[in-house]
Amino acid sequence: MTNQWKLKEIVLMSILGVVFGVIYLVFFLVGQGIRNILVPFGLAPFGYEIIFGIWFIVSIMAAYILRKPGVAFTAELIAGVVEVLLGSAAGPGLILAAAIQGLGAEAVFAATKWKYYRLRILVLSGVSAAVFSFVWNLFSAGNIALAPWLIVSTLIVRMISGALLAGVLGKWLSDQLAKTGVLRGYALGKELKRKRKYGAA
Amino acid sequence: MISSINPSIKAFAVLIPGIMLGFTFDVFTPLLYFLFILGITFSMTDIPTLRWLKLFSPFVLIALGFAWMTVLYANQTFSYGEVVFSLWGLEVTTGSIQTGISLALRSLCFGALSLLFILTTDSTKLMLSFMQQCKLPPKITYGILAGYRFLPIFQHELQVLKQAHRIRGVGRTKGIKGRLNQFRRYAIPLLANGIRKAERVAIAMESKGFTGDKDRTHYHQMKVEKRDWLFFVLMIGMLAAVFILSYYLGYLNIFGKRY
Amino acid sequence: MEQLNVQPKPVIEVRDYSFSYEEIDEQPLFNRLSFALNENEVTLLMGASGAGKSSLALCLNGLYPDAVEGTATGDIYFHGRHISEFEKGELNQEIGIVFQDPESQFCMITVDDELAFTLENRKFPASEIKGRIKEVLKAVGMEGFEQNKIHELSGGQKQKIALAAVLLLEPEMLILDEPTANLDPVSSLEFIELVQEIQEERGMSVLIIEHQADDWLELIDRVLVIGRDGQLLADDTPERLLTEQKQLLEQEGVFLPRAYSDAKDLRDVLPIAAPSEESVLSVDGLAFSRKKQQVLEDVSMDIRGGEFVAIVGENGAGKSTLLQLMAGLLTPSKGNVLLSGRKLEKWDENELRKRLGFVFQNPEHQFITDTVYEELTFGMRLNGYAEEEMEQAAGELMRQFHLEKQHDSNPFSLSGGQKRRLSVATVLDETPDILLFDEPTFGQDAATTAELMHYVMELKSKGTAIVFVTHDMDIVDAADRVSVLQHGKLAYDGSPEKLWEKEELLQEARLRLPARMRLDRKEGVVYDLIH
Ligand SMILES: Nc1ncnc2c1ncn2[C@@H]1O[C@H](COP(=O)(O)OP(=O)(O)OP(=O)(O)O)[C@@H](O)[C@H]1O
Ligand SMILES: Nc1ncnc2c1ncn2[C@@H]1O[C@H](COP(=O)(O)OP(=O)(O)OP(=O)(O)O)[C@@H](O)[C@H]1O
Ligand SMILES: [Mg+2]
Ligand SMILES: [Mg+2]
Repeated sequence: MTNQWKLKEIVLMSILGVVFGVIYLVFFLVGQGIRNILVPFGLAPFGYEIIFGIWFIVSIMAAYILRKPGVAFTAELIAGVVEVLLGSAAGPGLILAAAIQGLGAEAVFAATKWKYYRLRILVLSGVSAAVFSFVWNLFSAGNIALAPWLIVSTLIVRMISGALLAGVLGKWLSDQLAKTGVLRGYALGKELKRKRKYGAA
Repeated sequence: MISSINPSIKAFAVLIPGIMLGFTFDVFTPLLYFLFILGITFSMTDIPTLRWLKLFSPFVLIALGFAWMTVLYANQTFSYGEVVFSLWGLEVTTGSIQTGISLALRSLCFGALSLLFILTTDSTKLMLSFMQQCKLPPKITYGILAGYRFLPIFQHELQVLKQAHRIRGVGRTKGIKGRLNQFRRYAIPLLANGIRKAERVAIAMESKGFTGDKDRTHYHQMKVEKRDWLFFVLMIGMLAAVFILSYYLGYLNIFGKRY
Repeated sequence: MEQLNVQPKPVIEVRDYSFSYEEIDEQPLFNRLSFALNENEVTLLMGASGAGKSSLALCLNGLYPDAVEGTATGDIYFHGRHISEFEKGELNQEIGIVFQDPESQFCMITVDDELAFTLENRKFPASEIKGRIKEVLKAVGMEGFEQNKIHELSGGQKQKIALAAVLLLEPEMLILDEPTANLDPVSSLEFIELVQEIQEERGMSVLIIEHQADDWLELIDRVLVIGRDGQLLADDTPERLLTEQKQLLEQEGVFLPRAYSDAKDLRDVLPIAAPSEESVLSVDGLAFSRKKQQVLEDVSMDIRGGEFVAIVGENGAGKSTLLQLMAGLLTPSKGNVLLSGRKLEKWDENELRKRLGFVFQNPEHQFITDTVYEELTFGMRLNGYAEEEMEQAAGELMRQFHLEKQHDSNPFSLSGGQKRRLSVATVLDETPDILLFDEPTFGQDAATTAELMHYVMELKSKGTAIVFVTHDMDIVDAADRVSVLQHGKLAYDGSPEKLWEKEELLQEARLRLPARMRLDRKEGVVYDLIH
């Protein structure tokens, strides 16, 4: 698999990992903040769920930009490693969590044989990452001990968050980047160029 | 000293307890192991206590959050025992309190383990060790390192971008709205610059004769010695001992099943 | 030059090679080039800025067209084997290159890791790496910098590390793309000597891209010239080319070496306008430290309206730092900077930026938009100009600085010289009180250098104070005043004429005489100045 990746694609994944590794850390604090706000309403458990999707965005962006097998999984894994190197609060277990989220996102792309990268596929991929990570959290964070209604409703919130913050936002950011011309050398940029030419002709 | 332990071995020695503790739902097991980690941290590293406390305090907050949530919202399996009090119509039992405390201690263990790892490990050496010991392909290793190199530069880059905006006449901004505006103006260029750098770094690496070939020499040779395995055995052996002790004393609780 | 009589053995052979960044059916960047680079031969590649020299260099060692998604036709052979048959990186161990932009050729954080990376790729025995790094750092004059972070080095220091890295590769063919552009005069001479030594010792083939080739002349066996239209205009020995085909070179706007040129000295052609008595910017007891390192110490100077001041000094002396302090981008740890008698921090930011223009040493640091046009109109847009006005002003600047064809290009994808010109042009949309330039002329051909100088001098005659940090002694010669920085202290502040008489100071600050005086004194003295 790695033989198909160009060096510059690996470095790109890594840089996305570094950038979002930092952003992920910031979002830990944001999550904590939202949670504190929600406490008086008895909704504290939803604090992190609302923004959970941001943790999958690297998968979606890397896959959407590079469009190769294994990218969604690896990019998330790298972001996880970077986050741990930066000193994340979740500890080394986070690498495992990242791997599982990445698998979730990759699963959807795999199901389409890595051919389709339309919005709905990206959204689906975000949702799938949410489901995978949720199952992992049942075990790792001990969420299995929670009341069933709470489990179901947090799952739904997390899926929505995955769809919006990872799928939709991830696509928007990548498109924004492609507009600056830096992605010329990657699948997304090439597609854009093709479209322009096609549109102009 | 833990800082000289081989990073790959250290990573596994920290990761395995992290996963195994995920099975426990009693108070005793994680508490005992937590004390053990503290012992290791303060006897075998030279991390200043004050610095450690500062870094550790957010973990405590998060752990308390976890505990509180579980105490309130535990399901039937875990809300055994008598009702202690009720809040917002939710009944809190001795079982749910125990489970909550257990989860809190567990996340304190994760936190302490991760600090133990991060504060004693050089990130470049970790990647090099992954390559040399775990056979991670050089292409991936150096690809990640090249991206990671961006991190210190990131700050520098932001500085330069700020300066550029200033000399081009975009004044310093004040207030939240200004900050938000600034964030928007910087976010895409910063990311775009990052990607541009990624491309150039890749070209630079190839221009220096990097082929991704596994057969290469190593300036920083990462070795595995007896003491590395000793550390591994210590961490895992202690974990096993804690589980066994907990079992004999009748505390062990795995997924709500007591032994 | 005896080699020319023996049948030369080609290392690289180029046949009918064309390359374009876009589709090739439009006008390609260079068109059906055919030539060979031979063993034990030093070749100089000349051409106007933007002609495609750097692009060609990257094609020769197989990094392009793949890395930029360009298209190419034709063939390139290395020792008779087609370069597409080589694995990525394999060919690069044989053909070493120093990129034009030193900042884009590093992949590690510290100097020693960077250098070790090259050696590891060559499977150099691990135990000898440390010693080898020490040796090469000594050769380029960067001893003791092993643990320094690369992004915290000065511009010239970075270039030296880039040179060290390629020397470690010990390639069969060496490509140097303006390798001395950011080096101080003596370092530059030392580097040229080093290349000469290594070349003679190993008999490798060397391709040099350089606008001002004077100091290289002694080594050079052959000169190639690519024209603006992408054709190979000449392939000849330097003597024949520089005497018989002078016109051609002048037409292309490249620098003729002084010995062959009858161009006048810069100081004689620039309009003379006396500065006013009024001080615009004054620096008073300035000190600055970075971490524990004291970079500047007790620097005081006064710059008057319409004055042209040159700041010189060896690599790492603190010139860029001083300029950034003058622009208010850094805050001094001691002392003050006053603009028109008022402290910089007391100025309203918008007003300050209208009165003071600044150009970074690295042109890319200047860029904040996605096209050349937007970049040029950025300031005007902020000040609420009308669209037609902007179009006209930007059009004029683009014409002046030969960037018309690049109207919609991304600033980051320009050639080295074009980037430099664009970054300079961005501050010329208005007439401020003072302009600070950090090495504004490097990477320019003769024509664009002359134009740029004239443009700037016109502003000067309108009363704008001009400050240049530069390593070009001919420009220093044309300045009203020169300030020499040495280890963070001001070692000299006065007229250039007087500076040229202080041989000891010149030597200590690693400076040289301007070309006109070197020619007067001929040989001897020049080389005495290095040793
Ligand atoms: N990555 C790129 N993408 C698109 N166009 C490019 C790119 N790099 C260079 N160009 C264009 O190709 C032309 C030749 O550039 P090149 O860098 O080869 O010039 P050069 O001869 O080295 O000039 P200089 O002396 O200024 O360094 C320029 O017009 C430039 O704008
Ligand atoms: N961002 C930075 N962090 C730490 N040290 C720095 C940084 N930038 C420069 N330095 C150090 O400060 C000193 C002065 O650097 P400066 O860039 O001012 O030199 P310079 O005179 O402009 O040299 P050059 O001619 O090579 O451009 C150098 O020793 C350099 O290593
Ligand atoms: Mg060039
Ligand atoms: Mg400088």
